[in-house]
Amino acid sequence: MLYRTAGQFKISYKADHALFPVRQDAYLLGFVLLLAFVVFPLTASEFTFRALLIPVLIYSLAALGLNILTGYAGQLSLGTGAFMGVGAYACYKLLTIFPEMNIVIAIAMSGFFSAAVGVLFGLPSLRIKGFYLAIATLAAQFFLVWLFQKWAWLYNYNASGAIQVPNIDMFGITVAGPRATAMTQYYFVLGVVSVITLFAINITRGRIGRMWKAVRDMDIAAELVGINLMRAKLTAFFVSSYIVGVSGALFVFLWRGAAEANLFDIPLSFRVLFIAIIGGLGSILGNYLGAILIVALPVIVSTVPATFGIPIDSAMVEHLNVMIVGALIITFLIVEPHGLARFWAVIREKLILWPFPH
Amino acid sequence: MKTWMKAAATASAMAAGVVFAAPALAQDGSIYIPNLSYRTGPFAATGTPLMNGQRDYITLLNERDGGLNGAKLVYDECETGYNTEKGVECYEKTKANAVVTQPWSTGITLQVLPKSNVDEIPILAPGYGFSAMADGKVFQWAYNPPSSYWDGASMILNHISDNDLSSLSGKKIALLHLDHPYGKEPIPLFEKLAGEHGFTFLPIPVGLTEMQNQAAQWLQIRRERPDYVIMWGWGAMNAGALTEAAKTKYPMDQFLGIWWSGHDGDLKLIGDQGKGYRSISWSVPNSESSLMQDIKTHVVDAGKSQINQAEGEFDSVFYQRGIMISVILVEGIRAAQEEFDTQTPNAEQVRWGLENIKLDEARLKELGAEGMLVPFSTSCADHTGHGGGWMLEWDGSKFVKVSDIIQPDRSAIEPLEEEKAKEYAEANAPWPVNEECEM
Repeated sequence: MLYRTAGQFKISYKADHALFPVRQDAYLLGFVLLLAFVVFPLTASEFTFRALLIPVLIYSLAALGLNILTGYAGQLSLGTGAFMGVGAYACYKLLTIFPEMNIVIAIAMSGFFSAAVGVLFGLPSLRIKGFYLAIATLAAQFFLVWLFQKWAWLYNYNASGAIQVPNIDMFGITVAGPRATAMTQYYFVLGVVSVITLFAINITRGRIGRMWKAVRDMDIAAELVGINLMRAKLTAFFVSSYIVGVSGALFVFLWRGAAEANLFDIPLSFRVLFIAIIGGLGSILGNYLGAILIVALPVIVSTVPATFGIPIDSAMVEHLNVMIVGALIITFLIVEPHGLARFWAVIREKLILWPFPH
Repeated sequence: MKTWMKAAATASAMAAGVVFAAPALAQDGSIYIPNLSYRTGPFAATGTPLMNGQRDYITLLNERDGGLNGAKLVYDECETGYNTEKGVECYEKTKANAVVTQPWSTGITLQVLPKSNVDEIPILAPGYGFSAMADGKVFQWAYNPPSSYWDGASMILNHISDNDLSSLSGKKIALLHLDHPYGKEPIPLFEKLAGEHGFTFLPIPVGLTEMQNQAAQWLQIRRERPDYVIMWGWGAMNAGALTEAAKTKYPMDQFLGIWWSGHDGDLKLIGDQGKGYRSISWSVPNSESSLMQDIKTHVVDAGKSQINQAEGEFDSVFYQRGIMISVILVEGIRAAQEEFDTQTPNAEQVRWGLENIKLDEARLKELGAEGMLVPFSTSCADHTGHGGGWMLEWDGSKFVKVSDIIQPDRSAIEPLEEEKAKEYAEANAPWPVNEECEM
């Protein structure tokens, strides 16, 4: 009923290749964007911005970056956390060396540093595949975190070894640092994430995306039809690490405010990987659904007892939280092993056919 | 499918309602004291007794005196698991009504410190955090009484050199530290003093992932043969280092720790083998004191405490230190109540109160805590108090006090504090400093 496609005829190839072949998808996205751009900022408290909305967006972006590499190009990576770190440290160095630089430019440029490092550590992918490649990226993870700790120049010889975000203005508004308001930071992150998502949707639909998918599905076959494997794999590493690097810069500058090297250690890589897997490999939407489940749900669950006045210790809440979220993840994966994005696709399919069962 | 989806929709709507609703307001006539605790995660073993102590002192005041000068104290914990990400979440969650923030981790302190000027909530970090916070003119909203990490480092050096640092000349001192902002904190001071007094300083970092297996670090210690090993450890790292030291038969009388490395539970693991291990401390447990006896009657025996009595937690250094931390905080709130003649001071008034704490011997005696905490007082220029500390020694079954109050070498620390505070203010410009303070 809501998703009835009757009457929506495609009379040109262009219409058939449109971003939204079904009109209702566009309406739904419009509704979500309305929520994100208008309704949330009007209703959200500072806690909601800082503990839910901003982290969900940033983690979605990191997962999106990883998803391009793992979900679209089929190259398993365990180094996401370290690549985020490269983005964050690059942005920090850029902004402390050139304090007058616009933060948007600094963040956009820091992605290139991360992309370069990503390509470097992606080189082994030309010879090794699957789990073996995962181990190679794991080396990047350990090496880079070690480098963040040992190379004092990276954190400007700060005594505590941490990087701290100064107050950064853009057109007279403080967008980063302690004086920035949560709403400004939210809009900033939302803007960056929207632009990159649009880019990612289009790149994965187009020639390059199809090249990646061919490599993912069977690299020998892809090579036989004339795809340059080296170029396909390295572009995947480049684009993926670029997005991950940008998300790392946002992670520290627009959200955390301070970071030390071991923040980018392997737990962060796993967290992003879980978001991508639970959300759905090879999908854009999945990253957002995964981030909501992994990042936002624990925060929401932990506020429930206090709101209803149930007297439970905060440590107990934390224990329960781990159990509840863990159980939910397992449930979702049993119900739909291909992730939340696939789960949504099934629901959408059923809605299109509704009220008929087939 | 349909019912399932309906249920899911209701659940998410409810969850959204929960999140977007304003946080519950504290009741009138009460003071809200949040604590960013960690009773879970790799540092839970050391965190739990401290949190229990903090909680029990507040419970005692509510039970015995009906609050503080008639105002009920509402103690609330938000669990961080020592995770800086959770730290942000908890800070945002609790800050609305809070009169104080207790971040409980150097990493979280670094995150909330720059916000203190904006949100105007004082940060109380007793014995941890950024040492330069002592400079109250620059760090108007941050407090780390009664001693900072640099004070601690200086006190340890004064103790091992019998107050004559030049006698350390030619010796080798290793710093076994957690590779984390906390563990790196004393390095600038050690480096400075090593240069001035001619001893060799050797930092040995222990990564967060290798806390429990320090074989490589202790191999390095055996090879380098330092005259002293000073430990800046926390959580599982303390136990790891102590068991490794016992295993490699490192002489315990050359092994010393900062106050967070003097946890009874860690030393009980090695028992007699740990005899002679020393830890500097600004608090000393005394279960016979009238304050502790009151806590025993009103809180522990009344079943209102969470401590593990079978393990002897009541007598432990960390539990009673937790109590002292709450004593410091409550003293600050009390000062604010008296100065501003209000039952429920706000965050700004508590900031003034924390700046005017006078915990001298007479006051400690009044509280029934004589000799349990180093006497100190704070001022607008001095947010630490620099009370000094005692050396505690493990006698095989418990920590005993083996020295009088040791004072840090303030003349060596002050220029460093000033320099780092200035650096911090510049890096975070515009950073308002307290210009009214004339001390």
